[in-house]
Amino acid sequence: MKYPNHFLDTNKTLYAFVFVIAIFSIIPLFSIIINSTTLNYSYIESSGLFEFFKNSLIILFWVIILTSFFGVFSAYLITFYNFPGVSFFRYALILSFAIPPYIFGYSLSAFFENYGIGYSFFTNFFKLDDANSFLPNLTPITNCILSLSFTLYGYIYLLSKTSFLNQSGNLVDLGKSLGFNSFKKFTNIIIPSARPAIFIGISLVSMETLADFGTVSYFGVSTFTTEIYNSWFIFDDLKTSNFLSLFLLIFVLIFFIIEKISRKNSKFHKLKNDSKNKRLQLNGFSALAAFLFCFSLFFISFIFPFSQMIFWSYKFPEYYKNLNLIRLNLNTFTLILFTSFFIIIFSFIVNFGNRALKSKFLNLISTLSISGYAIPGIIISVSIISFISLMSNLFDVNLKSIFIGTFYGLIIGYFFRFYSISYNSIKSDYLKINYSIDESAYLLGFNKFKTFSEIHWPIMKKNTFFIFVLISIEITKELPITLILRPFNFDTFSTKAYHFASQDLIEAASIPSMFLIFWASILILISFKSFFDDEK
Amino acid sequence: MKKFFEVNDATFSSNKEHNIRKINFNISKRGEIICLLGPSGVGKTTILRTIAGLERLKSGEIWLSGQLISSTNVSINPEKRKIALSFQDNCLFPHKNVLENITVGLQKENTRNFLYSPNEILKIFQLEKIKNKFPHEVSSGEAQRVSLARSLISSPDLLLLDEPFSNIDPILKEELQKSIKDILKKTGTSAIIVTHDPNEAFYLADKCGIIINNSLEQFDTPYNIYHFPGTLNVVNFLKRGTLVNVRILSKTQLKHHYLGIINGKFGCSNLNPFNVGNSVKLLIQPEDLHHDDNSKLKLKIIDRKFRGTNFIYTLTTPKKELIPVLVESHHQHFHEKNEEFGIKTPINIDHLVCFEKN
Repeated sequence: MKYPNHFLDTNKTLYAFVFVIAIFSIIPLFSIIINSTTLNYSYIESSGLFEFFKNSLIILFWVIILTSFFGVFSAYLITFYNFPGVSFFRYALILSFAIPPYIFGYSLSAFFENYGIGYSFFTNFFKLDDANSFLPNLTPITNCILSLSFTLYGYIYLLSKTSFLNQSGNLVDLGKSLGFNSFKKFTNIIIPSARPAIFIGISLVSMETLADFGTVSYFGVSTFTTEIYNSWFIFDDLKTSNFLSLFLLIFVLIFFIIEKISRKNSKFHKLKNDSKNKRLQLNGFSALAAFLFCFSLFFISFIFPFSQMIFWSYKFPEYYKNLNLIRLNLNTFTLILFTSFFIIIFSFIVNFGNRALKSKFLNLISTLSISGYAIPGIIISVSIISFISLMSNLFDVNLKSIFIGTFYGLIIGYFFRFYSISYNSIKSDYLKINYSIDESAYLLGFNKFKTFSEIHWPIMKKNTFFIFVLISIEITKELPITLILRPFNFDTFSTKAYHFASQDLIEAASIPSMFLIFWASILILISFKSFFDDEK
Repeated sequence: MKKFFEVNDATFSSNKEHNIRKINFNISKRGEIICLLGPSGVGKTTILRTIAGLERLKSGEIWLSGQLISSTNVSINPEKRKIALSFQDNCLFPHKNVLENITVGLQKENTRNFLYSPNEILKIFQLEKIKNKFPHEVSSGEAQRVSLARSLISSPDLLLLDEPFSNIDPILKEELQKSIKDILKKTGTSAIIVTHDPNEAFYLADKCGIIINNSLEQFDTPYNIYHFPGTLNVVNFLKRGTLVNVRILSKTQLKHHYLGIINGKFGCSNLNPFNVGNSVKLLIQPEDLHHDDNSKLKLKIIDRKFRGTNFIYTLTTPKKELIPVLVESHHQHFHEKNEEFGIKTPINIDHLVCFEKN
């Protein structure tokens, strides 16, 4: 008598699902490699490959330096010291996540331009005769560096803070017994122990910096992303665009690999919580200095851009006429709902499939599929267009009308870009559930679906809401994919703001920007606790 | 006639390097309890997991109630086998409280009616006070009891228990062992219990299997395993006594160079062929020799271990052979190290256990 083999038979459907989703998720990677085989050298020569390569490197270098300083130092002060406002800043500093770098850029340029906000401020409050000569004249690259640094340091801040909190108090006490002063403790004990976490933060910042399109394009700085956009949009040269994408991708993947290695190492550096670090009370000048540092960071990164957007929105109400706010809100929410739904469902299927089937092959392609978060939005857009063109030609079907410049295409673009957020979160949740719990369920008569619905889902549903919020924040802020793949006349807050800002109508851009920051802040606030879950 | 449960020529494997080869054992009828004993890491858990359907069987066959459940080509889904497994580590569902974790076991389809209600089970396992607590609020011992209760209440045909009492304190352990044995017998539930504690196995099991060096060295009743260990590996694992060189004089007599004539009956056939005059190794267990202060046969004491109800003296012969002797703790006086210790003569050993010299 033959019985079905459960390792091969009953799981075929699940295997097929996981395989298709994982393969689908690596389309951007596959498409770029396939389409970058031929290159238009004349365009590269004329545009000057080294110019935008150099610009990208300069921006990256300074952003890493500044975000590391802002992130690590603020996390250090908040974890190890007590000073006025410490509990407030602990949470408030993550609000910088609500500000997209390009919107910060609009504020920065409006503040420092001739006869801009800065001029009015110093003239009115300090009665300066020539405030323009007093204000620094920032170069476009400096503007980009500042915009990216003040909006991206949050990654390093969050990761460093968690790492500092998990450090053993005994280690710091050891430093004291060896006679180390605060500076030496910081450089010789605290920083080396938190190094993997800081590296993860730096890698994430680097990937975001290299992927940025909105800021560099607004300030007119030629970098990889602007060149990819120009070669495709202006010169209609998809091959060059693909080649540059591949080049940038290799560059980004270096940081992706550093991040992966650092994550592995961070497990070894994590020390057992044998004793908690006690916060040192700061008094007098030190307390004031710590307060000023955190306040300045919070003020510049969040209050400065947000208040400016509110101020303009209030001062120039005529621009409301040009905006259909209900439509913009509706568009953003529709995108959020559809994208999150598919991303979360697919991530659950792939993660559950990998767990239940234990297939090394599926695991490998699933790991490749999460490379999406390392691929800049602009590359994803180009790769979708290239892939659809390839398929249309191959099968002689007009797929372009279905996927390019349509709602579906946009959802697919977001899927590629943000799938990894959901996949990784669910994966780490699954790692916390002992596998013998699944086996117990099977032995108690649960089939795979029942094991998922009655065991896994109740445990993980709370965090699923946090994943939904994270995806929503990203979609609300996202620019290049929306800009390239959106249907005609379809706008979100980000595209509308970009549209006005690129026409030098910063005041008009302030209304969609204000709404964008408002929604992103609300999303961060409703999931505040989850951002600090790692600290437990 | 087919047995209730059979493992035939089975090779179990948890990874490529580690196989437990050609294993045969069985449960002849419902309600019988088997214990698998062996050192840590030998693969006892792998055997349980394979029987439960969580691992593939490399070769051989496993039958339950006349149905082939595992072979090279056949593997019934774990949820479709009428088998429950209680894991050694905590595998309680974290979102369910203790009572809910236990009653999950009642949801299993096609199970027999269980004789005990959830409340009775809570009482037996002393879990009433913590029935509303969640897994993260209970101790590891309590979690293990919950896991045991859950497996039991699912009323399987075959219950597999992996080190079920490892985290439970000694006083409660004895009580629980008795309760579980009673429940299994009353409900006619067969069980395979994995343990490394021989006393636990000898108390619970109808039959024991000793797994050493990737094979099943002996499968027999606890009495036979204790008194007639089949191989030197089993002797070494159970740490029962020492081996001394003797010569066979007849079917009832042996001769030791210092102890002299040893009378007894050969209880097992470890010697093949059995030849009078051959030199063999005799297993001397602590209860085989008896103390007599007035005896002329004296050995030197080199160690004394206090075991509560008795002492075990380790004695040495002039040829440095070590011999253990058990003496009740209420014996009128202590003997100190390096003292001479009298052995009662003539020596009579109930069952002689001998092994080939090589």
